[in-house]
Amino acid sequence: MSLSTSSDIVVRTKSLGKAYQLYARRNDWLKQVMFGWWKSFFKPFWVLRDIDLEVRRGESIGILGRNGCGKSTLLQVICGMTLPSHGELRVTGRIAPVLALGSTFDLELSGRENVMIGGAVLGLKRSEVLRKFSSISEFAGIGDYMDQPVKHYSMGMRTRLAFSICAHVEAEILVVDEALAVGDAAFQRKCLDWIDNFRKTGTLLFVSHSMAEVRRLCTRAIWIEEGRIREQGDPSTVIRNYHRALLVEKDDVHRFSASE
Amino acid sequence: MPSVNVVNGKQIVVENAGLAQRLVGFFTKPFLQMWHHQDLIAAILRREMSERFKGSIAGWVWAIVAPLLAIAVYTFFFSSKLEMPAMYSVTKNPGVNYALFILSGIVVFNFWSEMAFRAPMLLHEYTHFIKQTIFPSDMLAVISTLRATAYTLISITVLLIFQASVVHSLPLTVLLLPFILIPFIAFLVGMSWFLCAIGAFTRDAGYLMINVAPLFMFATPVFYPHTMLPAPWDFWIYANALTGYVEVMRDIVLLGKLPDLRVYLWTIATSVFTFYFGYWFFDRYRNVIVDVI
Repeated sequence: MSLSTSSDIVVRTKSLGKAYQLYARRNDWLKQVMFGWWKSFFKPFWVLRDIDLEVRRGESIGILGRNGCGKSTLLQVICGMTLPSHGELRVTGRIAPVLALGSTFDLELSGRENVMIGGAVLGLKRSEVLRKFSSISEFAGIGDYMDQPVKHYSMGMRTRLAFSICAHVEAEILVVDEALAVGDAAFQRKCLDWIDNFRKTGTLLFVSHSMAEVRRLCTRAIWIEEGRIREQGDPSTVIRNYHRALLVEKDDVHRFSASE
Repeated sequence: MPSVNVVNGKQIVVENAGLAQRLVGFFTKPFLQMWHHQDLIAAILRREMSERFKGSIAGWVWAIVAPLLAIAVYTFFFSSKLEMPAMYSVTKNPGVNYALFILSGIVVFNFWSEMAFRAPMLLHEYTHFIKQTIFPSDMLAVISTLRATAYTLISITVLLIFQASVVHSLPLTVLLLPFILIPFIAFLVGMSWFLCAIGAFTRDAGYLMINVAPLFMFATPVFYPHTMLPAPWDFWIYANALTGYVEVMRDIVLLGKLPDLRVYLWTIATSVFTFYFGYWFFDRYRNVIVDVI
C-alpha cells in the first residue's frame, strides 16, 4: 500500500491495532517461541483496534479516555517502543516521549549523572547534553540538589528534572503522558508555558485527565474507548460528550451493583 | 505484521530488499547499531563502572586484589608435590608454575562466568528503560560485556606483572592478546544476547546458569591441561567452546608459542557464529520481549 509523502503529516496510522499475547498456561510462551511458525499458542488480547489517525505538523492533540482504554499503549506504539500487531504506522521527525517521568532515574546517582544518562537515552550526543546542562538545571530549578543522589529528591523534584531533560531534546514531536500531575502549580504553569511555546514549531500528542489542560493546549481532541477512536474533533465538543458519557457510565455502574 | 513502520525517519521493517542486500544488512547491523548508539553506550557504561564498587571504600582496588589473592592461594596450595608435565615448568617452583597455569586459564573462565551469571537477568535490570523510553535494548549486552572486559583486562595485567616478576621475561606472543580477546568478547556479546532474550521470558535461564556455570569450570581445562585426559575425550572437550579460548590464551601468555591453527580457527568460528546467532535471536524476539518483560 502506498503512503502519501506529504511532509505535512507527521504521524499517520492506518487501521492500527495492538494485541498482547495472552497465554492460557504459564509456559505456553516456550511453545510459541519454538513452534510459533507452525501455529500460535496464545490468545490475542486487543488493546488497540482500527486506529486511523493523521496528525499534521503543528497540531496538538489531546487524547481522552478512561483508565485502561489504550491511551498509553497508543502513545507507546507511536513512539516505537512496541510494535503494532496490525496496520501501518508512519512517523516523520524526531520524537521525544515524556512518559512516566523520572522512572528511569538511577536513585543512587546524582541528578547531574542522571541528566547525562537521560539525555543519552533520548538520543542526545554527550557534547549536546554538556552544552545544554546549565539550561536544563535552570529549568528544573532544583538548585544544589543537582549534585545529590536522586534518592533524596521528592517526587516533584524528580518530575521537574525529568521534564527539564525532555524539554531540551529539540524534538519535533512531543508525546506527553499524564506527566505534569505531580509538579506544583508554579512548575505546571512553567511546563504549560513551555509546551505552548513548543507548539509554535512542533507537534504535540498529549494524554491528560485534566480537561482544563486539554482545552487550553489542544487543537483537536481524540476520545478513545476500549481501544477504538470513539470520537474526534473540536476539543470542547469532544470533552462535553466525554463528560456526558462518564456520567452515564457512573450511572451504569450504580445500576449494575444495585441489581446484583 | 506491520507492512511499514517508520520511526525517527528510519525504516524499521524493510521489505523487498535483494538477498545480497539483506545479507550485508544482517552482518553489518550490530556494528551500525553500536556506532549509532556510541554516546548512550558510553553514558551507561560509565554508570555501570561506578556501580560495581559503589559504597565500598577501596573501590577499584578490589579488582586488583582479587587476582592477587588467587595467585597467593594457588601458589601456597600447590607448592606441594603436585607433578605437572615438564612443558609447563617455566620456573623452578611448582607452586608458581601451577598458579600461572591456573590463572592464565581462569581469567578467561571468570570473564565467561561473569557474563553467564548476569546476562539472563540483564533486561530485568533495565525494565524501566526498555518499557518507558525509546531504548536500544540490544546495546545492554554490549555494555555489560564491555564492563566485564575492563575487569578482565585488570586481571590479565596483574597476571602479566606477576609472570614478568617471577620468570623475569614475558613472551613476545603476549602482543597477540587482542587476536584472542576480541573474538572472545564477540563470543560473549553473542552469548549475552541469546541468554538475556531467553532470560526475559523466564527466570529459569538464570537458575540454569547458576547451576551449570560451576560445572563448566571442570569441563573446561582450567585446572588441568586437556592432554591429561584420554584422547577419545578430545571431541567433547573442544565441543565446549571455552576450551579453545583457554588454550589459545595459555599458549600466547604462558608458553610463548603460537596456538595450534586448528584450535584458533575453531575459536574464531564459534565466536562469529555465536555473535551473529545471538544477535539474530535477540532481534527476532526483541519486540515480543518488550511486551513480556
